[in-house]
Amino acid sequence: MQPTEDYLTVALPKGKLFGLAADLFAQIGYTAEGLSDKSRKLIISNDAKRIRFIVAKTADVPTYVEYGAADLGVIGKDVLVESRKDVYELLDLGFGKCHVMMAVPRTQKRARLADYAHTRVATKFPHIAEQFFSQYGMQMEYIKMNGSIELGPIVGLSESIVDIVETGTTLRENNLEEIAYIMDATARLIANRVSFKLKFDRINTMVQDLRQVLAAQANA
Amino acid sequence: MEKEKLVLEIPYGTRDFLFQEAACKRDLETRLAATFRRWGYDEVVTPTIEYLDNLTLGSSHALEPHMIKLFDRANRTLALRHEMTTPIARLAASRLKDEPLPLKVSYISNVFRYEQTQTGRQCEFYQAGVELMGSTTAAADAEVIALAIRCLLEAGLQDFTICLGQVEFVNGLMAQYGLTAAEQAELQEALEQRNLVALEALVDGLDISASGKAALKRLPLLNGGAELLQSAYAMALNEQSRRALDNLSEIYRLLEAYGVAQYVRFDLGIIRDLSYYTGMVFEGYTAGLGYPLVGGGRYDRLLSDFGNACPATGFALGIERLMLALSSAGCPAPQADKGVYLGYAPGQTAQAIARAAELRAAGQSVEVALQAQSETEAQASQTAKGYAELVYLA
Repeated sequence: MQPTEDYLTVALPKGKLFGLAADLFAQIGYTAEGLSDKSRKLIISNDAKRIRFIVAKTADVPTYVEYGAADLGVIGKDVLVESRKDVYELLDLGFGKCHVMMAVPRTQKRARLADYAHTRVATKFPHIAEQFFSQYGMQMEYIKMNGSIELGPIVGLSESIVDIVETGTTLRENNLEEIAYIMDATARLIANRVSFKLKFDRINTMVQDLRQVLAAQANA
Repeated sequence: MEKEKLVLEIPYGTRDFLFQEAACKRDLETRLAATFRRWGYDEVVTPTIEYLDNLTLGSSHALEPHMIKLFDRANRTLALRHEMTTPIARLAASRLKDEPLPLKVSYISNVFRYEQTQTGRQCEFYQAGVELMGSTTAAADAEVIALAIRCLLEAGLQDFTICLGQVEFVNGLMAQYGLTAAEQAELQEALEQRNLVALEALVDGLDISASGKAALKRLPLLNGGAELLQSAYAMALNEQSRRALDNLSEIYRLLEAYGVAQYVRFDLGIIRDLSYYTGMVFEGYTAGLGYPLVGGGRYDRLLSDFGNACPATGFALGIERLMLALSSAGCPAPQADKGVYLGYAPGQTAQAIARAAELRAAGQSVEVALQAQSETEAQASQTAKGYAELVYLA
């Protein structure tokens, strides 16, 4: 599917960001009937508003946008950094707040970060982890996982994990302790680099509208 | 044990062009070469491999990690050329040093970058472009932009937009608010990474006036037609940024004279490697292709890195991206020319060869059977090979 000249195509990630992102777009007047990440339809359009939403798997959102299959996308900063895609990062949407960190089993804490050099790290974010450890000149063995990262140290797959944390409950329940902060993450609005130029007026209007809604929420 | 099935792979990031694609590519390159020639740009061909030291001289080393490297017999490091501007700068500083200026050079060649493959760009890809050396005038910049537009039109593309910016406007604006070198570098990095969230956070952290902050945050949003330039003058409070806008106005007037201004928009937030470009910069886009088709600008410092201070401007156009844009715009692809299949009965070989020569002289493409055939066999061969016409000599 090619984005047509007069439609804006927005890729939204399935999961917890989806509802928040859909609400935000609804507040600036962009919505579509049946827009839900449980929908069987993967493309949902609103012909009157000339907008089209793609329901995408989270990690694929930056890809849709980089290739121009979607003009815009909503994605967590963590996934965006990990994807290393060449896209415009237009706006911090503020929701989906979490941070990326390193955690180890509470009972096996070592004195310094450097003591973990050359050990195994289970993570969904090998690029972010590598960037972080390389700042300290540390070589690590990265084990790419796609979910339940906390299991890594428990089952002896790795010595530590690099993962996102919202409240820390999961870490506590699994006897893990955060030992290094890596980066903050919130949802971002991203744009394809060509769409941002060719559909500049529409995208810019949308960004300004979103800014107003976000500012009103912040003041509420 | 059963013999393993032979799989003939090609290296990551390379591709084969088969008949139809190769015909498209050849057709496109022929049109581009003719256009370059008509505008007075002479073609050069440079080696595929160069010394790594030459390719990374001075300001163009950002791509060094992406270069494909090898060693020669004396263990010097070689690299496959990653673009053509640097090899041409080397030529300009050596064999072309005494040529009369301005020097106008064109190229159509493959270049190599080790990076994740993406739409219309493998590790080996093809570029066509020009370099105009020895002039600082707006006329030189306008000519290069007009030629880029002419190339897209000659290729058959109708619907495209050229966005035009000026790096000195950005630099002037940063200077006018007294940003330190470190602050400027951070801001440039955020702009080059297209990270407007980081840009905003950086600007908010600066110790400058509220209007200054607003101006810097607006930078990536300065996109519009001729009226944008006028409104940008209100932001340009120092000589450097005003001169940049004057330069763009002059280029634009010349593009009007070329009759191509309707393809051009201003985008003062257009950022192409700020350490490399020194004046106007531009990129060309078409709907449906998520990447720029063509990009270029003025780079007055590169040649002095080769010991030959000389201003220069130019552009490079991605051949595969242009091919993709043409096919998604529904432009008819040139068909592989299959004219005549020439079959013959036993004893007619010499006549067949003579007949083929006549047909070829008349401009037909002809395949001559390599052995005598019956008429039925010749018909079968014609059909199998897709020739439009059968000539059979009985």
